[in-house]
Amino acid sequence: MSHLGDRLSALVDGELDGAERDRAHAHLASCEQCRTEAAELRVLKQKLSTLMTGAPAEAAMTKRLIAMTGPGGPMPARRGLLRVAPGSRLATSRASRRPGARGPRSARRRRYLMLGTVSLVVGLGTAAFSAGGGGEAVPGPRITPPVEMYSVEHAITTGQLPFAPPMSSPGASSPGASSPGASSPGASLP
Amino acid sequence: MLRPSSVLSRRRGDGRSPLLLAAALVMALPGFLATACTNQAGTGTALNKAATTAGGSVAAAGQAPATGRQVSSTRALSLLSQAAQAAILMSYQGQEVVTRWSDGSGSVLVSDIWHVSGGQTVTQTLAAGDSLSSQPYLSSDDDSQAPEGVLGVTVPLIRLLETHYTVVYAGAGSAGSRVAQVVEARRGDGSLAARFWLDDATMLPLEREVFDSASHVISQDVFIQVRFASQAQAATPVSGPSDPPGPWTDPLSNAQLLALHTQGWLVLAGLPGELSLFTGARTTTSTGTVLDLGYSDGLSVVSVFEQRGDLAAKLAGWQRSTVDGHVIYVAEPDQRSLTWSSHGMVYTVVADAPVQTVDAVVGALPHDTPPGFWKRMSRGFVRLASWVNPFH
Repeated sequence: MSHLGDRLSALVDGELDGAERDRAHAHLASCEQCRTEAAELRVLKQKLSTLMTGAPAEAAMTKRLIAMTGPGGPMPARRGLLRVAPGSRLATSRASRRPGARGPRSARRRRYLMLGTVSLVVGLGTAAFSAGGGGEAVPGPRITPPVEMYSVEHAITTGQLPFAPPMSSPGASSPGASSPGASSPGASLP
Repeated sequence: MLRPSSVLSRRRGDGRSPLLLAAALVMALPGFLATACTNQAGTGTALNKAATTAGGSVAAAGQAPATGRQVSSTRALSLLSQAAQAAILMSYQGQEVVTRWSDGSGSVLVSDIWHVSGGQTVTQTLAAGDSLSSQPYLSSDDDSQAPEGVLGVTVPLIRLLETHYTVVYAGAGSAGSRVAQVVEARRGDGSLAARFWLDDATMLPLEREVFDSASHVISQDVFIQVRFASQAQAATPVSGPSDPPGPWTDPLSNAQLLALHTQGWLVLAGLPGELSLFTGARTTTSTGTVLDLGYSDGLSVVSVFEQRGDLAAKLAGWQRSTVDGHVIYVAEPDQRSLTWSSHGMVYTVVADAPVQTVDAVVGALPHDTPPGFWKRMSRGFVRLASWVNPFH
């Protein structure tokens, strides 16, 4: 079974219409994997949408996390920490440690930060890779080739019959044009 | 399901009984040689008329001496040229049955045709023998520049046929109830590529069969119930024809095609399958200029339509498919129109050619390559940003 692939993000974006969307939905109905991916993609999109508008606190937290992981940037000071007077015993104890040596709390905090950063990068990367599928947007008109017009021109050029599905304008009619075979001049042979 | 008896009664291959073929050769060869040597056009001897019938055996022209072959070829080309002219100059009406086979399945188109001498052609597709299925189509060749014809017999295509095939006169025969002159096109290896039956009295093409390299019939066009002159004019339908196909220009000159090439349009001199560029035209639609380039080897014909832009997200009547690893869309139900977009250009191919040739043509035209990892990531981040943009 071929999965939706690049069309999944287009489906989540609502860019598929008509028969393409129906086919995608039909596939989703029978494919748990694509269904799961679609659900994850929707959730991700919703979260990202609310990131900037609906959840300022989370956005601030994200910014703070990003700021903390900047290369060589200083660790932000934590509120509530007691100021230690120079020359005190605690200060002496800290000063006597090797440079770079941290306590267990600091190590745990660093692990959390790294875990959060990695999760953020992996999540965004996965989302970007999924969203980046499909064709590239091209400036210019969106075209549905007029196959009947092309077929007629082809017939004129080649001296043959226009062997095309009759997709005449809705107002066009001809005697018997409403026959069941109107949409299929090319009848199949066994 | 449509089953025109005149079509389905034919066998798909050319694998007729060797005994019959040998007998026909014995009967046809003297008549063919006599006809070739006397170079008489129009009527043949009773012997070779009996030897060649529509769908029957024909003379083995390849066995004739070189001089005889040359004379035969000259005569065959002359007959085809007369047929191309007759398709324009005669007034006639009839029913054309077009059958195409591909991958073991076939499709049939039945159309009524009315043609007035030097003027207009009206075709109306029939889904079955008695029900009309589509709007009448009117094509006007008042300016006598549109290379219209019957069964693909037009002057430009005859020139290409002469270039890519060995065209020989194969004697007289019959198509339906009418006496016909038979012309064959053979490949370089001597295999039969196509056979034409031209009406003996008027030279109008009555039947054409095209064979693949394995001697299987891949298309058959039969013009039946033909009537000429005043009868045809009287029978022209009074119902209003559909809109003309559009203001396509006259065939573009080489200089115009070169200018279009320098403007970024893809104008190739040839395509796989020894298809040569033989005509070009353009028109303007509501979505921009459309360029039509016609390629052919005299039998197979491929039209490539180009238009700047991108395919619409919704393509009603088109089905997604893959050819040679490229994603394309195939028009339903005729399956002979293919479209895709690449680098800001929409390509649509309408083909009357073997499947292998069509696949090769599609592969030779531009396609978008799948984006690399970083390009895809970059595009994804842009899209994600557009999702979180509250002003988007």
